[in-house]
Amino acid sequence: MMKVKDIALDGLVRQNPTLRLVLGTCPTLALTTLAFNGIGMGLAVTFVLICSNVLVSLLRNVIPDKVRIPAFVLIIATFVTIVSLVLDKFMPDLYETLGVYLPLIVVNCIILARAESFASHNKVGAAALDGLFMGLGFTIALTLMGIVREVLGKGSFFGIKLWNFKIEFFASAAGAFLTYGLLIAIFTVVYNALERKARRKNFSGAFAIHSEEQQLAKEGVNNG
Amino acid sequence: MENKTFIDGSSPHIRGNSSTKRIMLDVIIALAAPFFAGLWFFGFRALLVVFLAVISAYASEVVFNLCCKKTFKQALDIDLTSIVTGFIIGLSLNANAAWYLPVMASVFAVIVVKMLFGGTGNNIVNPAIAGRAFIFISFIGMAASNMASNWLTPDGNVLVGATPLSNMLNGSEAGVSNLDLFLGTNLAGCIGETCKVAIIVGFIYLVIRRVIDFKYPLIYIAVTGLFTVALKGFDFSWFLPSILSGGLMFVAVFMATDYVTSPTTKLGNYIYFVMLGLLTAGLRIACKIEVVTFVVLLMNFVVPFLDKWLVPKPFGNQPKNKEAKA
Repeated sequence: MMKVKDIALDGLVRQNPTLRLVLGTCPTLALTTLAFNGIGMGLAVTFVLICSNVLVSLLRNVIPDKVRIPAFVLIIATFVTIVSLVLDKFMPDLYETLGVYLPLIVVNCIILARAESFASHNKVGAAALDGLFMGLGFTIALTLMGIVREVLGKGSFFGIKLWNFKIEFFASAAGAFLTYGLLIAIFTVVYNALERKARRKNFSGAFAIHSEEQQLAKEGVNNG
Repeated sequence: MENKTFIDGSSPHIRGNSSTKRIMLDVIIALAAPFFAGLWFFGFRALLVVFLAVISAYASEVVFNLCCKKTFKQALDIDLTSIVTGFIIGLSLNANAAWYLPVMASVFAVIVVKMLFGGTGNNIVNPAIAGRAFIFISFIGMAASNMASNWLTPDGNVLVGATPLSNMLNGSEAGVSNLDLFLGTNLAGCIGETCKVAIIVGFIYLVIRRVIDFKYPLIYIAVTGLFTVALKGFDFSWFLPSILSGGLMFVAVFMATDYVTSPTTKLGNYIYFVMLGLLTAGLRIACKIEVVTFVVLLMNFVVPFLDKWLVPKPFGNQPKNKEAKA
């Protein structure tokens, strides 16, 4: 059993598509003026990601290596079409807001990257889980950004008005870049701190790991 | 080791006593002129706005330093650049501005624009300009901020409506004479920008102290005036109002000449300031608002390219093919 915990951690934290890999920046910057848009976009991507991962994983032994990229894009495009038709029918408002970014999910690097680097080498269950957690990681990051930008730029939280104080800078494109950069910086600081802590905990004791720690220390000396 | 006959080690061997702190102190002294003029015209509110801007600029640099694990003593010992940044921000605001405007502009300018890019000397754009643009973008639509719509006039009334410059750009009369524009009397505007005499005094001080080259601000101002005249069909009555109104002089003297964000070469500087002038005149007429802030911001991004493309030729340098022949 490929560890579920590993896949989950990869998707949500270690390889978070938005905050660690910096993939799919276009919808991240353009659509996060409202927290709700972030969730909508995130969930749409999650759905496409799960479905395409499953299908790619199922067909991984059938698709010839040379034409795999067109095949992946075809699979992804199928599901994007489904999502956009469903949204158009049942959530026309969200469909309007997402606009051109919905069809653009087809060329979203996250989905293609997961198909290429994970789904095409793994079994169906693992691929589906990977799609789910990658999508959730993307959704969480987009929602966080949406919340920050909505509270600061529009003075509301998920459409609920908080106050009249608006810093319109954060609703503009320049504010999107600034928020994104700061979010990545904060995430990286927290991530590095947690990782250092975890490593210290794991390394106490076992001999093999002990030598690795020494090597790390040596590297530190050399670098210093 | 004290009394060495020969100096070893690499040059420079003799150093001047000029330092970043000293230069910034000069700029602060020069800024004092428009500051006192603003104080004279706008009263206590002006003092408050400038004070808030300076204090928050200083505080944000100290806090940032503390976050970077400097000791308290190290954190307090800063060069005066952020004081200058705060001072300029305060002077480029309306005296009637809400209290959070100078604070937010200064914090944004120092932390985001300067410290996050690596501190003094590493900022891409001028912090004060960026801070000003930040609140200009953020609060232009808000009446409560009193920034874009309400101006405090010298006699203490709140003027709702446009400044002389926007009057002119929108086709009507400026409403004030050129002399008023020059002296800053009967004029609505930002604290430091209304009194041109005071700005000129500061400019002369900076030139005498050799902090800035007198040519560059003059180029900027002259090009702006002449290009406005040209765009208005060579109507020379536009020359004086266009250079005397708005924030042009203040920006030309104190903001555009910032060392970090202006080119290093002579030719680069000429191009930079001429472009500033052309863009200011052109965009003012096209957009019908005061654009100097955004023009300087725009040109700041061009500076690295000017520095890269216009590398000065070292003395004695010859083209490569000739060298090969010899």
